[in-house]
Amino acid sequence: MRRLRAVRPEGDDGRPEVSFCGHCGAAPAPDAERRSRVCAHCGLGLVLQAAADVAPQPGEPFLVIDSTLSVCAVSARAEELLGVDETDAVNQHIADFLVPADANASRADNLLVLLVEAASSPGEPRTAVVRQRQEFGVRFRARIGSCGPPHAALLVLAG
Amino acid sequence: MVLMRTLKTSEAAAMLNVSPNTLRAWERRFGYPKPQRSAGRHRLYTHGEVVSLRDALQQGLSISSAISRAREALSTDTHALVGALTGFELDRADRAMEAALALRSVERSVEEVLLPGLQELGRRFGTDSATWAFAARWADGWLRRAQRLAPPPARRLAILVGDATGNDLDLDALALRALELFCGRSGACVMALPVTAITCLGEVVESLGPDAVVIAGTRVGDDDVARWAYRVRAAAGPLPVAVFRRGQTGATVRATGTRVLTDAPFGAHRQLLALAEERDSERTRAGAPAVALVEDADVREARA
Repeated sequence: MRRLRAVRPEGDDGRPEVSFCGHCGAAPAPDAERRSRVCAHCGLGLVLQAAADVAPQPGEPFLVIDSTLSVCAVSARAEELLGVDETDAVNQHIADFLVPADANASRADNLLVLLVEAASSPGEPRTAVVRQRQEFGVRFRARIGSCGPPHAALLVLAG
Repeated sequence: MVLMRTLKTSEAAAMLNVSPNTLRAWERRFGYPKPQRSAGRHRLYTHGEVVSLRDALQQGLSISSAISRAREALSTDTHALVGALTGFELDRADRAMEAALALRSVERSVEEVLLPGLQELGRRFGTDSATWAFAARWADGWLRRAQRLAPPPARRLAILVGDATGNDLDLDALALRALELFCGRSGACVMALPVTAITCLGEVVESLGPDAVVIAGTRVGDDDVARWAYRVRAAAGPLPVAVFRRGQTGATVRATGTRVLTDAPFGAHRQLLALAEERDSERTRAGAPAVALVEDADVREARA
Protein backbone atom coordinates (compact mmCIF):
# COMPACT_ATOMS: atom_id res chain seq x y z
CA MET A 1 0.00 0.00 0.00
CA ARG A 2 1.37 3.38 -1.03
CA ARG A 3 1.62 5.94 1.71
CA LEU A 4 0.88 9.55 0.90
CA ARG A 5 2.78 12.29 2.58
CA ALA A 6 1.53 15.87 2.87
CA VAL A 7 3.96 18.26 1.24
CA ARG A 8 4.06 22.04 1.45
CA PRO A 9 3.86 23.89 -1.86
CA GLU A 10 7.14 25.39 -3.01
CA GLY A 11 7.82 28.55 -5.00
CA ASP A 12 10.10 28.94 -8.04
CA ASP A 13 13.12 29.14 -5.78
CA GLY A 14 12.24 25.98 -3.84
CA ARG A 15 11.24 27.78 -0.62
CA PRO A 16 7.98 26.66 1.00
CA GLU A 17 5.06 28.91 0.18
CA VAL A 18 1.99 29.83 2.15
CA SER A 19 -1.27 31.45 1.13
CA PHE A 20 -2.84 34.43 2.86
CA CYS A 21 -5.58 36.96 2.27
CA GLY A 22 -4.35 40.27 0.85
CA HIS A 23 -6.71 42.14 3.18
CA CYS A 24 -7.16 40.31 6.49
CA GLY A 25 -4.01 38.19 6.22
CA ALA A 26 -5.84 35.00 7.21
CA ALA A 27 -4.82 31.70 5.67
CA PRO A 28 -7.59 30.34 3.45
CA ALA A 29 -9.27 27.03 4.18
CA PRO A 30 -7.73 24.38 1.88
CA ASP A 31 -10.93 23.76 -0.08
CA ALA A 32 -11.80 27.48 -0.30
CA GLU A 33 -8.39 28.18 -1.78
CA ARG A 34 -9.09 25.92 -4.71
CA ARG A 35 -12.55 27.31 -5.36
CA SER A 36 -12.00 31.05 -5.40
CA ARG A 37 -9.31 33.70 -5.26
CA VAL A 38 -11.50 35.79 -2.96
CA CYS A 39 -10.91 35.33 0.78
CA ALA A 40 -13.72 33.33 2.34
CA HIS A 41 -13.09 34.95 5.77
CA CYS A 42 -13.48 38.65 4.99
CA GLY A 43 -14.52 38.67 1.33
CA LEU A 44 -12.49 41.86 0.86
CA GLY A 45 -9.14 40.48 -0.26
CA LEU A 46 -7.65 38.14 -2.83
CA VAL A 47 -5.70 35.07 -1.78
CA LEU A 48 -1.99 35.55 -2.47
CA GLN A 49 1.04 33.30 -2.11
CA ALA A 50 4.41 34.19 -0.67
CA ALA A 51 7.43 32.38 0.77
CA ALA A 52 6.74 31.33 4.36
CA ASP A 53 9.59 33.48 5.68
CA VAL A 54 8.12 36.60 4.04
CA ALA A 55 4.36 36.05 4.40
CA PRO A 56 2.69 38.11 7.11
CA GLN A 57 2.08 36.54 10.50
CA PRO A 58 -1.41 36.97 11.97
CA GLY A 59 -1.93 40.65 12.85
CA GLU A 60 1.09 41.96 10.93
CA PRO A 61 0.29 44.94 8.70
CA PHE A 62 1.41 44.68 5.08
CA LEU A 63 1.17 46.27 1.65
CA VAL A 64 1.42 44.79 -1.83
CA ILE A 65 3.25 46.86 -4.43
CA ASP A 66 3.74 46.20 -8.15
CA SER A 67 6.87 46.74 -10.23
CA THR A 68 5.82 50.31 -11.09
CA LEU A 69 5.85 50.98 -7.32
CA SER A 70 2.08 51.51 -7.25
CA VAL A 71 0.22 50.27 -4.20
CA CYS A 72 -2.00 47.32 -5.14
CA ALA A 73 -3.29 46.20 -1.74
CA VAL A 74 -3.28 47.47 1.83
CA SER A 75 -4.15 45.08 4.62
CA ALA A 76 -6.79 45.97 7.18
CA ARG A 77 -4.10 46.33 9.88
CA ALA A 78 -1.99 48.55 7.62
CA GLU A 79 -5.05 50.70 6.95
CA GLU A 80 -5.35 51.24 10.72
CA LEU A 81 -1.62 51.77 11.22
CA LEU A 82 -1.10 54.20 8.34
CA GLY A 83 -4.51 55.83 8.57
CA VAL A 84 -5.38 55.26 4.90
CA ASP A 85 -8.19 53.47 3.11
CA GLU A 86 -7.17 50.80 0.65
CA THR A 87 -9.59 52.26 -1.92
CA ASP A 88 -7.75 55.62 -1.73
CA ALA A 89 -4.28 54.12 -1.60
CA VAL A 90 -4.58 51.77 -4.57
CA ASN A 91 -2.72 53.01 -7.70
CA GLN A 92 -0.84 55.63 -5.63
CA HIS A 93 2.96 55.60 -5.48
CA ILE A 94 4.35 53.81 -2.43
CA ALA A 95 6.47 56.89 -1.65
CA ASP A 96 3.21 58.73 -0.91
CA PHE A 97 2.89 56.52 2.17
CA LEU A 98 6.27 55.08 3.15
CA VAL A 99 9.80 56.40 2.75
CA PRO A 100 13.16 55.02 3.87
CA ALA A 101 13.82 56.00 7.47
CA ASP A 102 17.58 55.95 6.95
CA ALA A 103 18.47 58.75 4.52
CA ASN A 104 22.06 57.52 4.23
CA ALA A 105 21.18 53.98 3.21
CA SER A 106 23.28 52.62 0.39
CA ARG A 107 21.70 51.86 -2.96
CA ALA A 108 21.44 48.14 -2.21
CA ASP A 109 19.30 48.92 0.79
CA ASN A 110 17.21 51.54 -0.93
CA LEU A 111 13.56 50.83 -0.29
CA LEU A 112 12.37 51.46 -3.82
CA VAL A 113 15.12 49.34 -5.36
CA LEU A 114 14.26 46.48 -3.02
CA LEU A 115 10.60 46.75 -3.93
CA VAL A 116 11.23 46.77 -7.68
CA GLU A 117 13.53 43.76 -7.36
CA ALA A 118 11.02 41.85 -5.25
CA ALA A 119 8.19 42.68 -7.63
CA SER A 120 10.22 41.58 -10.64
CA SER A 121 11.59 38.24 -9.48
CA PRO A 122 11.47 36.10 -6.35
CA GLY A 123 14.53 36.14 -4.15
CA GLU A 124 15.69 36.08 -0.56
CA PRO A 125 13.67 38.28 1.79
CA ARG A 126 15.28 41.63 2.53
CA THR A 127 14.71 44.13 5.29
CA ALA A 128 14.60 47.91 5.37
CA VAL A 129 13.76 50.53 7.94
CA VAL A 130 10.91 52.73 6.86
CA ARG A 131 8.80 55.51 8.24
CA GLN A 132 5.51 57.03 7.27
CA ARG A 133 5.77 60.01 4.94
CA GLN A 134 5.50 63.26 6.89
CA GLU A 135 5.80 61.33 10.18
CA PHE A 136 9.09 61.48 12.02
CA GLY A 137 10.25 59.49 14.98
CA VAL A 138 8.25 56.31 14.38
CA ARG A 139 10.19 53.73 12.41
CA PHE A 140 9.17 50.31 11.24
CA ARG A 141 11.34 47.39 10.31
CA ALA A 142 9.96 46.21 6.98
CA ARG A 143 10.31 42.71 5.54
CA ILE A 144 10.30 42.73 1.76
CA GLY A 145 9.79 39.76 -0.51
CA SER A 146 7.80 38.56 -3.49
CA CYS A 147 4.18 37.54 -3.63
CA GLY A 148 1.55 36.84 -6.24
CA PRO A 149 0.09 35.90 -8.59
CA PRO A 150 0.75 38.11 -10.51
CA HIS A 151 4.29 38.97 -9.38
CA ALA A 152 4.41 41.82 -6.87
CA ALA A 153 6.39 42.95 -3.86
CA LEU A 154 5.14 42.26 -0.38
CA LEU A 155 6.15 44.73 2.32
CA VAL A 156 5.40 43.54 5.83
CA LEU A 157 5.67 46.13 8.59
CA ALA A 158 7.01 44.62 11.80
CA GLY A 159 7.93 46.22 15.07
CA MET B 1 -30.65 48.55 -30.08
CA VAL B 2 -28.65 45.93 -28.17
CA LEU B 3 -30.48 44.60 -25.13
CA MET B 4 -28.60 44.70 -21.86
CA ARG B 5 -28.29 41.39 -20.07
CA THR B 6 -28.81 41.45 -16.33
CA LEU B 7 -27.99 38.93 -13.61
CA LYS B 8 -29.63 38.23 -10.29
CA THR B 9 -27.43 38.43 -7.17
CA SER B 10 -27.04 34.66 -6.98
CA GLU B 11 -26.10 34.46 -10.68
CA ALA B 12 -23.58 37.28 -10.42
CA ALA B 13 -22.11 35.75 -7.25
CA ALA B 14 -21.78 32.35 -8.96
CA MET B 15 -20.06 33.94 -11.93
CA LEU B 16 -17.53 35.64 -9.64
CA ASN B 17 -17.21 32.56 -7.44
CA VAL B 18 -18.13 34.45 -4.28
CA SER B 19 -21.10 34.45 -1.93
CA PRO B 20 -24.01 36.87 -2.41
CA ASN B 21 -23.04 38.47 0.93
CA THR B 22 -19.57 39.19 -0.41
CA LEU B 23 -21.08 40.86 -3.45
CA ARG B 24 -23.23 43.06 -1.23
CA ALA B 25 -20.17 43.86 0.94
CA TRP B 26 -18.30 45.00 -2.18
CA GLU B 27 -21.20 47.23 -3.13
CA ARG B 28 -21.07 48.87 0.33
CA ARG B 29 -17.29 49.24 0.47
CA PHE B 30 -16.33 49.92 -3.13
CA GLY B 31 -19.63 50.96 -4.74
CA TYR B 32 -19.05 48.33 -7.43
CA PRO B 33 -20.58 46.37 -9.05
CA LYS B 34 -23.45 48.83 -8.89
CA PRO B 35 -26.75 47.00 -9.36
CA GLN B 36 -30.02 48.39 -10.60
CA ARG B 37 -33.23 47.36 -8.90
CA SER B 38 -35.99 45.30 -10.39
CA ALA B 39 -39.64 46.24 -9.95
CA GLY B 40 -39.60 44.05 -6.82
CA ARG B 41 -36.51 45.94 -5.49
CA HIS B 42 -34.19 43.00 -6.11
CA ARG B 43 -30.64 43.70 -7.24
CA LEU B 44 -29.94 43.30 -10.96
CA TYR B 45 -26.29 43.33 -12.02
CA THR B 46 -25.31 44.14 -15.58
CA HIS B 47 -23.59 41.21 -17.24
CA GLY B 48 -20.84 43.41 -18.67
CA GLU B 49 -19.86 44.81 -15.26
CA VAL B 50 -19.68 41.35 -13.73
CA VAL B 51 -17.64 39.92 -16.62
CA SER B 52 -15.31 42.91 -16.52
CA LEU B 53 -14.81 42.40 -12.77
CA ARG B 54 -14.31 38.63 -13.13
CA ASP B 55 -11.52 39.19 -15.67
CA ALA B 56 -9.92 41.88 -13.50
CA LEU B 57 -10.05 39.63 -10.40
CA GLN B 58 -8.12 36.91 -12.20
CA GLN B 59 -5.23 39.32 -12.83
CA GLY B 60 -5.57 41.48 -9.72
CA LEU B 61 -3.69 41.70 -6.44
CA SER B 62 -6.60 43.10 -4.46
CA ILE B 63 -10.32 43.65 -4.84
CA SER B 64 -9.71 47.42 -4.91
CA SER B 65 -7.23 47.22 -7.78
CA ALA B 66 -9.44 44.76 -9.69
CA ILE B 67 -12.43 47.08 -9.30
CA SER B 68 -10.34 50.04 -10.39
CA ARG B 69 -9.31 48.09 -13.49
CA ALA B 70 -12.88 46.97 -14.21
CA ARG B 71 -14.09 50.56 -13.93
CA GLU B 72 -11.38 51.69 -16.33
CA ALA B 73 -12.49 49.05 -18.83
CA LEU B 74 -16.03 50.40 -18.68
CA SER B 75 -14.94 54.03 -19.05
CA THR B 76 -13.50 53.21 -22.49
CA ASP B 77 -17.02 53.66 -23.92
CA THR B 78 -16.92 57.36 -23.02
CA HIS B 79 -13.49 57.70 -24.64
CA ALA B 80 -14.78 55.90 -27.73
CA LEU B 81 -17.78 58.25 -27.94
CA VAL B 82 -15.65 61.36 -27.47
CA GLY B 83 -13.22 60.09 -30.12
CA ALA B 84 -16.03 59.42 -32.58
CA LEU B 85 -17.67 62.81 -32.08
CA THR B 86 -14.33 64.61 -32.28
CA GLY B 87 -13.73 62.85 -35.61
CA PHE B 88 -17.28 63.75 -36.79
CA GLU B 89 -18.14 60.09 -37.30
CA LEU B 90 -21.83 59.53 -36.64
CA ASP B 91 -21.71 55.77 -37.23
CA ARG B 92 -18.88 55.33 -34.78
CA ALA B 93 -20.72 57.46 -32.18
CA ASP B 94 -23.81 55.27 -32.61
CA ARG B 95 -21.64 52.17 -32.23
CA ALA B 96 -20.07 53.55 -29.04
CA MET B 97 -23.55 53.96 -27.57
CA GLU B 98 -24.51 50.45 -28.72
CA ALA B 99 -21.43 49.13 -26.92
CA ALA B 100 -22.41 51.10 -23.81
CA LEU B 101 -25.92 49.68 -23.97
CA ALA B 102 -24.55 46.16 -24.06
CA LEU B 103 -23.10 46.72 -20.59
CA ARG B 104 -25.53 49.15 -19.01
CA SER B 105 -29.16 50.18 -18.87
CA VAL B 106 -30.33 53.02 -21.10
CA GLU B 107 -30.40 55.30 -18.05
CA ARG B 108 -26.82 54.52 -17.04
CA SER B 109 -25.59 54.67 -20.63
CA VAL B 110 -26.96 58.18 -20.90
CA GLU B 111 -25.67 59.28 -17.49
CA GLU B 112 -22.30 57.55 -17.58
CA VAL B 113 -21.38 57.73 -21.26
CA LEU B 114 -23.45 60.18 -23.32
CA LEU B 115 -23.71 63.18 -20.99
CA PRO B 116 -20.12 62.94 -19.61
CA GLY B 117 -18.88 62.59 -23.20
CA LEU B 118 -20.74 65.75 -24.20
CA GLN B 119 -19.46 67.60 -21.12
CA GLU B 120 -15.92 66.59 -22.03
CA LEU B 121 -16.36 67.95 -25.56
CA GLY B 122 -17.83 71.18 -24.22
CA ARG B 123 -14.87 71.56 -21.89
CA ARG B 124 -12.36 70.75 -24.59
CA PHE B 125 -13.72 72.77 -27.53
CA GLY B 126 -16.15 75.23 -25.97
CA THR B 127 -19.92 75.29 -26.48
CA ASP B 128 -19.57 77.79 -29.31
CA SER B 129 -17.50 75.36 -31.40
CA ALA B 130 -18.60 73.41 -34.45
CA THR B 131 -17.49 70.22 -32.72
CA TRP B 132 -19.85 70.91 -29.84
CA ALA B 133 -22.70 71.75 -32.25
CA PHE B 134 -22.13 68.51 -34.15
CA ALA B 135 -21.99 66.45 -30.94
CA ALA B 136 -24.99 68.13 -29.32
CA ARG B 137 -27.13 67.64 -32.46
CA TRP B 138 -26.14 63.98 -32.58
CA ALA B 139 -26.92 63.53 -28.86
CA ASP B 140 -30.28 65.28 -29.23
CA GLY B 141 -31.15 62.98 -32.13
CA TRP B 142 -30.04 59.91 -30.19
CA LEU B 143 -32.12 60.84 -27.13
CA ARG B 144 -35.20 61.54 -29.25
CA ARG B 145 -34.74 58.18 -31.04
CA ALA B 146 -34.51 56.43 -27.68
CA GLN B 147 -37.65 58.27 -26.54
CA ARG B 148 -39.54 57.00 -29.56
CA LEU B 149 -38.42 53.45 -28.75
CA ALA B 150 -39.57 53.72 -25.12
CA PRO B 151 -42.64 51.64 -24.23
CA PRO B 152 -46.00 53.47 -24.19
CA PRO B 153 -47.04 55.00 -20.83
CA ALA B 154 -48.03 52.25 -18.41
CA ARG B 155 -49.16 54.52 -15.56
CA ARG B 156 -51.67 57.27 -15.36
CA LEU B 157 -48.97 59.67 -14.16
CA ALA B 158 -48.60 62.73 -16.31
CA ILE B 159 -45.87 65.33 -16.10
CA LEU B 160 -45.90 68.71 -17.77
CA VAL B 161 -42.51 70.23 -18.52
CA GLY B 162 -42.04 73.94 -19.03
CA ASP B 163 -39.02 74.05 -21.27
CA ALA B 164 -36.92 77.12 -20.49
CA THR B 165 -33.76 75.73 -22.05
CA GLY B 166 -32.11 77.17 -25.13
CA ASN B 167 -31.95 75.39 -28.46
CA ASP B 168 -30.64 71.84 -28.92
CA LEU B 169 -27.08 73.09 -28.42
CA ASP B 170 -27.77 73.83 -24.75
CA LEU B 171 -26.45 71.11 -22.42
CA ASP B 172 -29.47 71.72 -20.16
CA ALA B 173 -31.71 70.88 -23.13
CA LEU B 174 -29.93 67.55 -23.51
CA ALA B 175 -30.29 66.87 -19.79
CA LEU B 176 -33.99 67.66 -20.11
CA ARG B 177 -34.30 65.23 -23.05
CA ALA B 178 -32.67 62.63 -20.80
CA LEU B 179 -35.11 63.41 -17.97
CA GLU B 180 -38.06 63.06 -20.37
CA LEU B 181 -36.64 59.77 -21.62
CA PHE B 182 -36.21 58.34 -18.11
CA CYS B 183 -39.69 59.43 -17.01
CA GLY B 184 -41.16 57.96 -20.19
CA ARG B 185 -39.33 54.69 -19.64
CA SER B 186 -40.71 54.60 -16.09
CA GLY B 187 -44.18 54.60 -17.60
CA ALA B 188 -45.14 58.26 -17.10
CA CYS B 189 -46.65 60.43 -19.81
CA VAL B 190 -44.42 63.47 -20.33
CA MET B 191 -45.24 66.55 -22.33
CA ALA B 192 -42.64 69.27 -22.80
CA LEU B 193 -43.73 72.69 -24.03
CA PRO B 194 -41.68 75.87 -24.30
CA VAL B 195 -42.55 78.30 -21.52
CA THR B 196 -43.02 80.99 -24.14
CA ALA B 197 -46.03 79.13 -25.61
CA ILE B 198 -48.95 80.57 -23.67
CA THR B 199 -51.83 80.58 -26.14
CA CYS B 200 -54.16 77.58 -25.72
CA LEU B 201 -52.04 76.34 -22.80
CA GLY B 202 -55.17 75.79 -20.69
CA GLU B 203 -56.58 73.35 -23.23
CA VAL B 204 -53.35 71.38 -23.30
CA VAL B 205 -53.25 71.20 -19.51
CA GLU B 206 -56.87 70.08 -19.27
CA SER B 207 -56.22 67.38 -21.83
CA LEU B 208 -53.05 66.10 -20.14
CA GLY B 209 -54.21 66.36 -16.50
CA PRO B 210 -50.68 66.65 -15.10
CA ASP B 211 -49.71 65.31 -11.66
CA ALA B 212 -46.59 67.45 -11.50
CA VAL B 213 -45.02 70.36 -13.32
CA VAL B 214 -41.32 70.86 -14.00
CA ILE B 215 -39.64 74.02 -15.17
CA ALA B 216 -36.26 73.33 -16.71
CA GLY B 217 -33.46 75.50 -17.98
CA THR B 218 -32.12 78.97 -17.46
CA ARG B 219 -32.50 80.59 -20.87
CA VAL B 220 -35.91 82.18 -20.21
CA GLY B 221 -36.40 84.88 -17.59
CA ASP B 222 -38.44 84.58 -14.39
CA ASP B 223 -41.25 86.82 -15.67
CA ASP B 224 -42.03 84.57 -18.64
CA VAL B 225 -41.75 81.47 -16.49
CA ALA B 226 -44.08 82.97 -13.85
CA ARG B 227 -46.63 83.84 -16.55
CA TRP B 228 -46.53 80.30 -17.88
CA ALA B 229 -46.82 78.79 -14.38
CA TYR B 230 -49.78 81.07 -13.63
CA ARG B 231 -51.60 79.85 -16.73
CA VAL B 232 -50.94 76.22 -15.81
CA ARG B 233 -52.22 76.76 -12.29
CA ALA B 234 -55.30 78.58 -13.56
CA ALA B 235 -56.13 75.58 -15.73
CA ALA B 236 -55.17 72.67 -13.46
CA GLY B 237 -55.37 74.09 -9.93
CA PRO B 238 -52.53 73.74 -7.43
CA LEU B 239 -49.95 71.17 -8.53
CA PRO B 240 -46.55 70.18 -7.20
CA VAL B 241 -43.96 72.23 -9.08
CA ALA B 242 -40.27 71.41 -9.37
CA VAL B 243 -37.38 73.14 -11.07
CA PHE B 244 -34.65 71.32 -12.96
CA ARG B 245 -31.31 72.90 -13.85
CA ARG B 246 -32.62 76.41 -13.24
CA GLY B 247 -29.60 77.55 -11.27
CA GLN B 248 -31.24 76.90 -7.90
CA THR B 249 -29.54 75.17 -5.00
CA GLY B 250 -30.95 73.51 -1.89
CA ALA B 251 -33.95 71.22 -1.65
CA THR B 252 -36.59 73.91 -2.23
CA VAL B 253 -36.82 77.48 -3.49
CA ARG B 254 -37.20 79.47 -0.28
CA ALA B 255 -39.74 82.02 -1.54
CA THR B 256 -42.15 79.63 -3.22
CA GLY B 257 -41.46 76.21 -1.69
CA THR B 258 -40.87 74.82 -5.18
CA ARG B 259 -38.91 71.59 -5.11
CA VAL B 260 -35.41 71.75 -6.64
CA LEU B 261 -34.49 68.59 -8.52
CA THR B 262 -30.94 67.32 -8.61
CA ASP B 263 -28.94 68.17 -11.75
CA ALA B 264 -28.42 64.51 -12.67
CA PRO B 265 -31.35 63.43 -14.87
CA PHE B 266 -31.67 59.98 -13.30
CA GLY B 267 -31.83 61.30 -9.75
CA ALA B 268 -34.19 64.06 -10.90
CA HIS B 269 -36.52 61.56 -12.55
CA ARG B 270 -36.71 59.56 -9.30
CA GLN B 271 -37.53 62.70 -7.31
CA LEU B 272 -40.07 63.80 -9.86
CA LEU B 273 -41.89 60.48 -9.96
CA ALA B 274 -42.00 60.45 -6.15
CA LEU B 275 -43.48 63.95 -6.23
CA ALA B 276 -46.10 62.99 -8.80
CA GLU B 277 -46.94 59.77 -6.96
CA GLU B 278 -47.32 61.69 -3.69
CA ARG B 279 -49.79 64.04 -5.30
CA ASP B 280 -51.54 61.08 -6.87
CA SER B 281 -51.97 59.27 -3.55
CA GLU B 282 -53.30 62.50 -1.99
CA ARG B 283 -55.85 62.67 -4.77
CA THR B 284 -56.76 59.01 -4.17
CA ARG B 285 -57.28 59.66 -0.46
CA ALA B 286 -59.51 62.61 -1.39
CA GLY B 287 -61.76 60.24 -3.33
CA ALA B 288 -60.64 60.81 -6.89
CA PRO B 289 -60.19 57.74 -9.10
CA ALA B 290 -57.25 55.64 -7.96
CA VAL B 291 -54.17 55.56 -10.11
CA ALA B 292 -53.25 52.08 -11.01
CA LEU B 293 -51.30 50.43 -13.69
CA VAL B 294 -53.23 50.93 -16.86
CA GLU B 295 -53.20 47.87 -18.95
CA ASP B 296 -53.06 48.33 -22.62
CA ALA B 297 -56.30 47.31 -24.30
CA ASP B 298 -54.41 44.89 -26.50
CA VAL B 299 -52.85 43.19 -23.49
CA ARG B 300 -56.23 42.84 -21.81
CA GLU B 301 -57.70 41.40 -24.96
CA ALA B 302 -54.82 38.98 -25.30
CA ARG B 303 -55.31 37.84 -21.69
CA ALA B 304 -59.04 37.40 -22.21
